[in-house]
Amino acid sequence: MGWVEMQVRGYPEFVRTAQSYHGRPIFALFCGDKDAEGRSWCPDCVTAEPIVRKELHNLPDESVFIYCLVGDRAYWKDPNNEFRRNLKLTGVPTLLKYGTPQKLVEEECFKAELVRMLFTED
Amino acid sequence: SVQAHKEEDDPQKTMEVNGLTPVPDSYDYDLIVIGGGSGGLAAAKEAAKYEKKVMVLDFVTPTPQGSSWGLGGTCVNVGCIPKKLMHQAALLGQALQDSRKFGWQFTEDVKHNWMTMTESVQNYIGSLNWGYRVALRDTKVTYENAYGEFVGPHTIKATNKKGIEKLYRAERFIIATGERPRYLGIPGDKEYCISSDDLFSLPYCPGKTLVVGASYVALECAGFLAGLGLDVTVMVRSILLRGFDQDMANKIGEYMEEHGVNFIREFVPIKIEQVEEGTPGILKVTAKSTTRDQIIEGQYNTVLLAIGRDPCTRKIGLDKIGVNINEKTGKIPVNDEEQTSVPYIYAIGDILQDKLELTPVAIQAGRLLVRRLYAGATTKCDYVNVPTTVFTPLEYGACGYSEETAVEKFGEENIEVYHSHFWPLEWTVPSRDNNRCYAKIICNIQDNERVIGFHVLGPNAGEVTQGFAAAIKCGLTKEQLDSTIGIHPVCAEV
Repeated sequence: MGWVEMQVRGYPEFVRTAQSYHGRPIFALFCGDKDAEGRSWCPDCVTAEPIVRKELHNLPDESVFIYCLVGDRAYWKDPNNEFRRNLKLTGVPTLLKYGTPQKLVEEECFKAELVRMLFTED
Repeated sequence: SVQAHKEEDDPQKTMEVNGLTPVPDSYDYDLIVIGGGSGGLAAAKEAAKYEKKVMVLDFVTPTPQGSSWGLGGTCVNVGCIPKKLMHQAALLGQALQDSRKFGWQFTEDVKHNWMTMTESVQNYIGSLNWGYRVALRDTKVTYENAYGEFVGPHTIKATNKKGIEKLYRAERFIIATGERPRYLGIPGDKEYCISSDDLFSLPYCPGKTLVVGASYVALECAGFLAGLGLDVTVMVRSILLRGFDQDMANKIGEYMEEHGVNFIREFVPIKIEQVEEGTPGILKVTAKSTTRDQIIEGQYNTVLLAIGRDPCTRKIGLDKIGVNINEKTGKIPVNDEEQTSVPYIYAIGDILQDKLELTPVAIQAGRLLVRRLYAGATTKCDYVNVPTTVFTPLEYGACGYSEETAVEKFGEENIEVYHSHFWPLEWTVPSRDNNRCYAKIICNIQDNERVIGFHVLGPNAGEVTQGFAAAIKCGLTKEQLDSTIGIHPVCAEV
């Protein structure tokens, strides 16, 4: 069946989407918001996104890939924002396998090998 | 005629993979480490720093109850880490009780939820397993979740959980396979009992528990289970904490007994039967006295065996390549450079004969060994004066000789023991025991009253002991200790 991508923005939409795919492997990439020209305020996210996208073909069948924009820079800097509080995110970009402790944070997302390991290994 | 020149025939041609240092044609790896625990991972990561081509094989054979775990070895998965976290859970329970005396008011009675604690602990362990996999991949160490066995010189067979076998050849090997809990060898032991391998991920509260054994594993587990509010009994064959200072061991036992842990002394189980299935069910234990003709019976929800650990050295093909092991214990004797009887095979960690079974020892041995192999270093692992701590409800930190061993080695007239009870300030207000905490040092009179043994029984014993271990390594004498002004008000000032 292959895999599907869902693009969401903000915490409530992320949670709703993840819950709707309960039972399937869910991978999520969290990035800073993009401006009208499509550039993120987060330079590491700009670097990571193409690297992550290049490995998406390795996703196991039935997976869901959620591409989530977290908010603007001010929202992200707030130490109490919902992503930090509830998902324990510490930085953007973060690439994770939902419901497991498996995640890659910031520069770890630049390494294709690690992204592939996250997507393909248990 | 023209002779075709095959690539393998060219002595100058070597394999280069991933930009790493080329290895001789006949080897796939410079180093293969068997066992991805504390020692194995430390050694592998160190070797990768010197750009060696390294592989780690790690495989967990499931327990009789079906428990298994990820990369990281005993300490991370079923040892030090979950143990300390659960010990902390128990201490927090005690702190909640104490807090009322300090003015905290809460109306409900406080209860403990086993599942909440276990899930949090397992989650943390999961993040460690993942962290190790990222670290290995990042440093280009190849990791395979496969069971390694020697099949011939320089050759190992790796079998993964699907049964697929692969052969690998390496210039050198490090065996770091660690140990697993021993079973009693009585009817019902494997079917109904659990071990520390199962306890930390048990998907239900163990309930009324019988802990068989008197090792630090037994006492630590009994201690935190009781601290969490469970009915705990410890069945001891003879003495507590064999190998540790017996004066301190007895004080630990007394404290535990006063604080709700039942002890059945000088008995061993002979039969375990299931009375009722369930999670937990009910088990009937039959035990016999070791000193007289007496049989007793008892019923428990859970029976936890903690009677010792055996090295994983019997089924890894050591006989095929001539690595000597102690046939009785399974331990591997090595020289002071961790080399086995086969020069290109080394061993580190709990499987070593006559060496301390501690994570930091394995890590240190692994790192220094690799530096000697690949970085021209000469430092050997110093196994003397290694500090340790037992995380029983009353914690015990020690470094150096026990009183008995010091007397044996130096003679009673040549050692002086200084000791003191102390009452932690934090225990005064909640009226906790005022005569249980204790500290003693053992000095060698003939060597300037050098401190050769340090023992402390009290809260945060591990934190207290670490600094003293460094001082002992520097040759601390009683006079120097006396002239060191204390920090007040802390336990360590005693």
